[in-house]
Amino acid sequence: MGEYLAECEHVDKSFFGVKVLDDVSFDVRAGEVVALLGENGAGKSTLVKILSGVYARDGGTLKVFGAPVGNLTPREAQNLGISIIHQELNLCSHLTVAENIFLGRETVKNGVLAKREMSSRAAGILKRLNLDMDPDAIVGSLSVSKQQLVEIAKALSTNARILIMDEPTSALTAKEIEDLFVIIRKLRDEGDCGIVYISHRLDELKHIADRVVIMRDGRFITSAEFGAVTMDEIISHMVGREIKEKFPRVPGKRGKKIFEVKNLSAGKMVKDVSFDLYEGEIVGISGLMGAGRTELTRAIFGIDPKDSGHIYLEGSEISIRRPSDAISHGVVLAPEDRKKDGLCTRLSVRENISLPNLDSLCDGGFVNRGKEKLMVYDTIRNLAIRLSGPEINAGSLSGGNQQKVVVGKWLARNSKVVIFDEPTRGIDVAAKVEIYNLMNDLKKNGIGVMFVSSEMPEVMGFADRIIVMCDGRITGEFMSGEATQNKILEKATQFEAKELSLGGAERGKAV
Amino acid sequence: MSSTDRRGPFEKVLAVRGMAQVITVTIGLVIIFIVFSMLSENFTSYRNMRNLLRQVAPILLIGIAQSYVLITGNIDLSIGSVVGMSCMISATLMTKGISPLAAVAITMACCLLVGLVNGALVAKCSLPPFIATLGTMTIARGIAQIVNNNHNTDSIGEAARGFRNLFYYGESLGVYNAVWIAVAMWLVFNFILSYTRIGRHIYAVGSNIDAARMSGVNINATVTAAYLVSSFCCCIVGFITCATGGVGTMDSGNTYELYAVAASVIGGVSTLGGQGLLLGTVIGASIWSVLQNGLILANAPVAIRNIAVGIIVVISVLLDIVVRNGKWMKKKSD
Repeated sequence: MGEYLAECEHVDKSFFGVKVLDDVSFDVRAGEVVALLGENGAGKSTLVKILSGVYARDGGTLKVFGAPVGNLTPREAQNLGISIIHQELNLCSHLTVAENIFLGRETVKNGVLAKREMSSRAAGILKRLNLDMDPDAIVGSLSVSKQQLVEIAKALSTNARILIMDEPTSALTAKEIEDLFVIIRKLRDEGDCGIVYISHRLDELKHIADRVVIMRDGRFITSAEFGAVTMDEIISHMVGREIKEKFPRVPGKRGKKIFEVKNLSAGKMVKDVSFDLYEGEIVGISGLMGAGRTELTRAIFGIDPKDSGHIYLEGSEISIRRPSDAISHGVVLAPEDRKKDGLCTRLSVRENISLPNLDSLCDGGFVNRGKEKLMVYDTIRNLAIRLSGPEINAGSLSGGNQQKVVVGKWLARNSKVVIFDEPTRGIDVAAKVEIYNLMNDLKKNGIGVMFVSSEMPEVMGFADRIIVMCDGRITGEFMSGEATQNKILEKATQFEAKELSLGGAERGKAV
Repeated sequence: MSSTDRRGPFEKVLAVRGMAQVITVTIGLVIIFIVFSMLSENFTSYRNMRNLLRQVAPILLIGIAQSYVLITGNIDLSIGSVVGMSCMISATLMTKGISPLAAVAITMACCLLVGLVNGALVAKCSLPPFIATLGTMTIARGIAQIVNNNHNTDSIGEAARGFRNLFYYGESLGVYNAVWIAVAMWLVFNFILSYTRIGRHIYAVGSNIDAARMSGVNINATVTAAYLVSSFCCCIVGFITCATGGVGTMDSGNTYELYAVAASVIGGVSTLGGQGLLLGTVIGASIWSVLQNGLILANAPVAIRNIAVGIIVVISVLLDIVVRNGKWMKKKSD
């Protein structure tokens, strides 16, 4: 194994008083592929963002090529040879491959761009990666995987020696993953580069990882040669989260079936999903980022088009082609991004609550202010929304109260199914409890409740039944008593088998 | 080298991004041209062709101005007002007996200042370009009105004969000077856009500003450069306007910013940024001018001219969106 390329020691980082990295140490050496593993929110992204200069660390030391460095800017990190390949691509889709590779570092002769020279140098880099790609092709016309490879080529052209790849395979097919792995191994075997590889697809690791580093709750948990740990050990290191909070679960009796989704497919992220909701229970949808949970809620609510499938409400099939269909049937959604999708933040609380209910509030096309006021005050009182008055901007409320307004506007009409997407994200503990109580009230009133959550303790502690998604499919279902973190994570990483035929490359113990 | 060298010359031309659109609108131009030559004998006369070329010149220049800014993903609404400002400042100075050369230099400095302010507001202060240039549009128009005390100027007089010949009436090699000026400026700005680093950065900023920033492109400098090119072109158009009438008129250049958008988008420049060729702007400006000229010769009333031009603008942008959506959907499904 080669020299140390980057060493982080005792790195701390907090956002708004919440510690997201706590005394983390991490290093990467030349000629190795380090897999950085952890659940959602374990701190992986924050760590690599500190390494690549996006965030400044609060404490700890960072050494690059053995020399200590201060807080980096993205540009400085790049100049030092640290390149990050983001999940969301950072390319100019109108420009060619060569133009993207040399963007910001164009070769100029007498003030004129040396197009030929850049083109042939780009061809050389592509060749080093064994890529059959025209350097003059326009990036926007390439497939996502090819674009990803252009990013890698761009990183190499800057003589990057530390390559950070964040979920590089999530959008790729098996063949493309194989091509990518061939390139990653080639770079590793050349011995100059160290590669930090972040992925939720644990089955991929056996093809490329030399070492695994596992994080949990912003802390470094363990580092081990890949061959020296089993998959089961990896999973138990990743989960082991303490469940500190108490969840106000109300025991209920499962009543009749209210809502059923059969064989729903929508786009790439929802594949043949079937599940049902019963009276008197709360269903939690668990899974990792990108598992298709939000997409599922969007498809049910009619925001995104469905490719196939059936939806039944109280035994009869209903057709939801747009959100207004869902609303008129009483199926409503409290979306993940409250400020973007859930509220008109610059309108008042009153206007937000009455917006989806204008049909019942209007007399002959005019809003009946009296009825509106009644509805708004009822909602505010029922949900105990804390505000100085209904005329203040919805955007000025705290996260918890905003969430109540989002839910409140739906409860003002007779909703039968309420879907929450990440209902407690970004709100404080006290507000969380109020949201839980609210969901319990809905449950008691015979409304079908489901919620999507990335917080495993929340799903385990609060849901009566847990559905686990991975890769757009439902991969597991547990009653609350049966579920353990290990079981859930195992299902949440159960990706559709992408058969990789990388013979001879397998190391470590397969799952 | 790569496979590029194996392609034929036609394929090479087509491979230039945006070239397909330019070819489409060129076909449109040819069709419009043929229709007008059938509608009116005078249309293809030597005299009218010379005039038509001279009419294209200012439209082409404001088209270049707007294209530069549009490719960065922004918009310049101050174009018409800067034309008016240039016309009024230069005319006022010349009627006050200042030499044309000095008048040109002073006017140019004033116009470039507007470009600089636009760039600063949009790039540095992150104002929405629509709002920022709406402001400078109104301010520049106000300056055009105030320089001669809210009056149009008197004739710029005999001393400015050279100025008028240089920018409008004179000719070289049988073609009006205004046309030569437009051609020369097109050559220079097309070269800058396609063959220099700043030109490449203008495309990159419009295509994906985050990617450009992370690649080390100086966003402020790039956007400001585009606005400076815009105000430079507008200044020259102001000189042409001034030379044409021999007086400064306060409302000259009115609504030119919208003609400029039309010339750009008809020629395939995307209002979303990142895409467009100045070759397309030539075609767009030509379609605009041919329509105006041809419809006048065909005795069409003003109302019909406006409607026809409006329809062409909408159709050409619609076509662009259809083509783009087609591509987008293909990409989504693979």
